[in-house]
Amino acid sequence: MWTWFYKLASPPYVYGTAAALAPWFLGLAAIAIGYGLVDGLVFAPPDYQQGDAFRIIYVHVPSAWLSLFAYVGMAVAAAIALIWRIKMGYAVAAASAPIGASFTLLALVTGSLWGRPMWGTFWAWDPRLTSELILLFLYVGVMSLRSAFEDPARGDRAAALLALVGVVNVPIIHFSVVWWNSLHQGATVARFGKPTMAASMLWPLLSMALGFMLFYGAVLCMRLQGEVLNRERQAKWVAEAIKS
Amino acid sequence: MGGGGNKIVTGAVFWSMGGYARYVWPCFAFAGVILGWNLWSARRYRVAAQLRARRALEAADADTAAATVVAIPSTVGEKA
Repeated sequence: MWTWFYKLASPPYVYGTAAALAPWFLGLAAIAIGYGLVDGLVFAPPDYQQGDAFRIIYVHVPSAWLSLFAYVGMAVAAAIALIWRIKMGYAVAAASAPIGASFTLLALVTGSLWGRPMWGTFWAWDPRLTSELILLFLYVGVMSLRSAFEDPARGDRAAALLALVGVVNVPIIHFSVVWWNSLHQGATVARFGKPTMAASMLWPLLSMALGFMLFYGAVLCMRLQGEVLNRERQAKWVAEAIKS
Repeated sequence: MGGGGNKIVTGAVFWSMGGYARYVWPCFAFAGVILGWNLWSARRYRVAAQLRARRALEAADADTAAATVVAIPSTVGEKA
């Protein structure tokens, strides 16, 4: 276990692993997203209250879950980098931020488009919506802070600290619909006990969520390769890696 | 086809999404844009990093070669 953990500190190992995993993640993501789209758009029945508008769930919920998952991943990588001084942690955090930010934006836009026919408004200063917007600002803050320093090492450390502080927003987002009165519906899938969705609607949602996670893995691996190369440009192993 | 679970519906009914087409399709279109952008930007970032690394290696090789060329006459000169 610890041998594997310390291998993550090795840039050539991280670069090679990311290069090997990216195509697999991408292929599996294409299959999962393809199945989820066809099943969700074509075969799932319309909701008895929301009609076909409920199909927005198949992009909104996976992107919202991914926005939280990517942030937690970024914060864990930042913590590893700060505590164990493993520089690859900074690289993972830097690679994760733009992906997480883009999926947070997707969750906000699709939520807004879903809100218009259901709530009668594109936006409300609701606890769930506001905390998700704060998540987007945190992502933008982490990326901006990292590039604001002339010394990349200081930028990495400052961005990692902000990522760690901002992780407090993750449980706030998740429990906002429980703690406060919210327009947003409560948990239907990620809750204790059985999900409240019918299986014919749930399977495409789980497939899309899995597809988005795999897609995140693929894009993270690709960005991570770039991050590692940018940080290790002078290293001898880079010459071999680029030739292969 | 689509939009009605077990019911068979026509293409037009499917595309109309029960009257919610102007909300449903932009969501899926924007999701496509986000997925496409992520893939494109990640590839671009990786290729740019590979190019920079290649240039850095070539520059380092050129410096080494230049240092060798400079070193030879000076050695010859010392012997003379």
